[in-house]
Amino acid sequence: MASHSPGTDQIDTLFWIGFFAAAILIVAIVGALLYVVRRYRGERGAEPRQLLGGRRLQFRVGAVLTVFAALLFILGIVFTDNAREKPSTGDAGLASLKSEPLKIEATGQQWLWRYDYPNGAFSYYKLVVPVDTAVELSLESTDVVHTWNVEELARKADAVPGKTNKVLFSTGDEGNYVGDSATLSGQAYAAMRTEVEVVSPEEYEEFVETQLEEIQTAQETVVGQIENGDTP
Amino acid sequence: MSPSPRPELVADGYSAKRPRWAQLATSADHKEIGQILICGALGFLFLALVELVLMRIQLLVPENTFLSPVAFNRMLSLYGASAIFLFALPLVIGLFYYVTPLQIGARGTALPRLGQTGLALWVTGGVALYATFLFTPSEAGVNPLAPLTEVAFLSNNGVDAWVTSAGLATLGFVLLSVNLIATLKTMRAPGMAWRRVPLFAWATAVGSWLMVVIGPVLLAALTMLMIDRHYDGIFFADGSGGAPLLWQHLSWIFYTGTYMLILIFAFGAIAEIAAAFSRKPLFNRNVTMASLAVIAVVGTLAWMQNMLTAPIGIGWMYFAMLMSLALIVPFGLVLFNLIATLAGGTLRMRAPLLFAIGALFAITVGLASELCHSLVASAWHLKNTVDSTAATHFTLIGGSVFGGFAALHYWFPKMTGRTMGENLAQISFWTIMVGLLLGFVPLFFAGTEQGQVIDAYKYFAGTGVTAYNVIASIGVFILFVGIMLTVLNAIFSRVNGPEAGHDPWGGETLEWFALSPPEPYNFDVLPDVRSARPLRDIREAIGHRTRRSERAASRESQSVA
Repeated sequence: MASHSPGTDQIDTLFWIGFFAAAILIVAIVGALLYVVRRYRGERGAEPRQLLGGRRLQFRVGAVLTVFAALLFILGIVFTDNAREKPSTGDAGLASLKSEPLKIEATGQQWLWRYDYPNGAFSYYKLVVPVDTAVELSLESTDVVHTWNVEELARKADAVPGKTNKVLFSTGDEGNYVGDSATLSGQAYAAMRTEVEVVSPEEYEEFVETQLEEIQTAQETVVGQIENGDTP
Repeated sequence: MSPSPRPELVADGYSAKRPRWAQLATSADHKEIGQILICGALGFLFLALVELVLMRIQLLVPENTFLSPVAFNRMLSLYGASAIFLFALPLVIGLFYYVTPLQIGARGTALPRLGQTGLALWVTGGVALYATFLFTPSEAGVNPLAPLTEVAFLSNNGVDAWVTSAGLATLGFVLLSVNLIATLKTMRAPGMAWRRVPLFAWATAVGSWLMVVIGPVLLAALTMLMIDRHYDGIFFADGSGGAPLLWQHLSWIFYTGTYMLILIFAFGAIAEIAAAFSRKPLFNRNVTMASLAVIAVVGTLAWMQNMLTAPIGIGWMYFAMLMSLALIVPFGLVLFNLIATLAGGTLRMRAPLLFAIGALFAITVGLASELCHSLVASAWHLKNTVDSTAATHFTLIGGSVFGGFAALHYWFPKMTGRTMGENLAQISFWTIMVGLLLGFVPLFFAGTEQGQVIDAYKYFAGTGVTAYNVIASIGVFILFVGIMLTVLNAIFSRVNGPEAGHDPWGGETLEWFALSPPEPYNFDVLPDVRSARPLRDIREAIGHRTRRSERAASRESQSVA
């Protein structure tokens, strides 16, 4: 996974911490198991020593495991809190909002993502956001549970009907990031993908303006056609 | 000749037994019920694997059209329900049900008809699920998340059949577990205090209590879903006071508890096998027993680990992380004690021990991989990727297939009087091991590197996951062959296996004191239980007596000379 935002950097670091912790446990336990199996193979012979246990050894193993678990718990909280830190809009970002994040609604529906921008424009499938700007996505669903998943930019989060789930991110890298949905939502689940296009603030402003105008033009055209009676 | 003291009955012309099928269908004997559960579980394992293979064929190449999306979702739903409700749980509970009364020296169970009812409910549940092939199986997935299961989204009967099947099976498991708890409480042999109970019987006690707690939680959720679907209920519907997240909480409590139950079973069986095959007592018995109880409680409390991307408060996420990381301690202690039991022994590498070692390996890899899913922010990356599929399969195949097969090979001679073919067992073991590694290790990479999502009927070319999926599919085909070899081995050895005698492994617990197969009443007489290893006590006593009489005989011969 290539990370392109401060939040996913933290997520990535914590993943690698978990990865190495898991690797240590696997190597230690499987190594001990294989060593014991190779060392003590044998068909018959004198009865082995009937060792019932060792309290001190057990206590030490328990203490080491407790410290290991506690350490992971602390690291887990530290990096999760870092990943949750509210991103701020930088100098290259959208100038109109310095303190507030850019609020965009993301609605999951079978089997499309719809994005509603602050000026009233909306887009399907593709989300356009300005670079170096804090973006707050409010995830909602009109039908079943969907999971919004653009892993290079932000954390995975569920859109649950009747609830709002907030995802905050910002990125300094312009470009296109593909994503998908990660909870089985019915027949076309695998095809329910999405894309985030990160552009300069000027291009973003232009996009939402054009989008709004085009939506209004389309709306007027349809109303005009119905009023004139020339609908097919 | 004096007259006989008893009147003699003429029994000529009456068949001694009813036909076998009638006996099986009406028996409340724990051994018959246990065997039906085990055989049924192995049959459903075959069906579950066929479904898994069909899904893996679909995922062999990008954007494949072998299965339609609907067909894929049906296979997925059937696979999930079969693997959990019709294979893993009945195999585990069937082995509990067969072995534990023998291990504690009981002549039967406390509530035999309750167990018989439980079996009947489970059979009905299994039939209900597969009867959906006559109309439409469920399309809602392994744990079908509301509100996808509401009538508005899936209106056909598939979800109803799934609810019925899972509900009947779960109710059956609860009844069987209640009987096991009652039996363990009231029918232990004289002298068998809880601290002397064999570890597998202890696992039965912990596992049965766990099922009695989590089973009704799922039953409540299923009832609510049924009311939603047919009586205008709004439990899981959004708006008007309903809460889709409620389903997630209730169902994940059950599924997480089931995951722990399978592991508790596996550890119990491995502990017996490790002790018997190393000819040593279990290392730190008391700590291992306590750890299993802790795993049951703390493990189930970690259910929200499955909901880390859902809109729940961060405090709950940290609670889930605390519970799952706390599990490192009891799991670590159990694994340490099992390996320490093997250390210093003389390990006879026969099939039961081989499968037990395979189980320890797979469970370790699976549980360690879950660690990355316990750390909250890391789970925000990994949740619902095929990495979680791989971790879950490593643990549960480790617990139910390797662990279950270890137990099957170990107690098969007790059930049938014959051992399972050793060569075929070894071939099967290595085939399953290769299949597991090839089938699921690539998914770790596809999940963590490329974020391939679970449950999807296709993936796209150019996303970097094609090679991983090809290898995984081939691995699952090998896994299928390996598992079927053991099932065939069991079928074949039941009639043709080498005769085993009553105690082929030199076991130290009471089940090896019974005949193989045991009489319907299990035991004529029981030895006094004065330790956790009653049969060893008998062997020592016989040894002492033999040596004493030998000494006496040699003294006599010397005095004659």
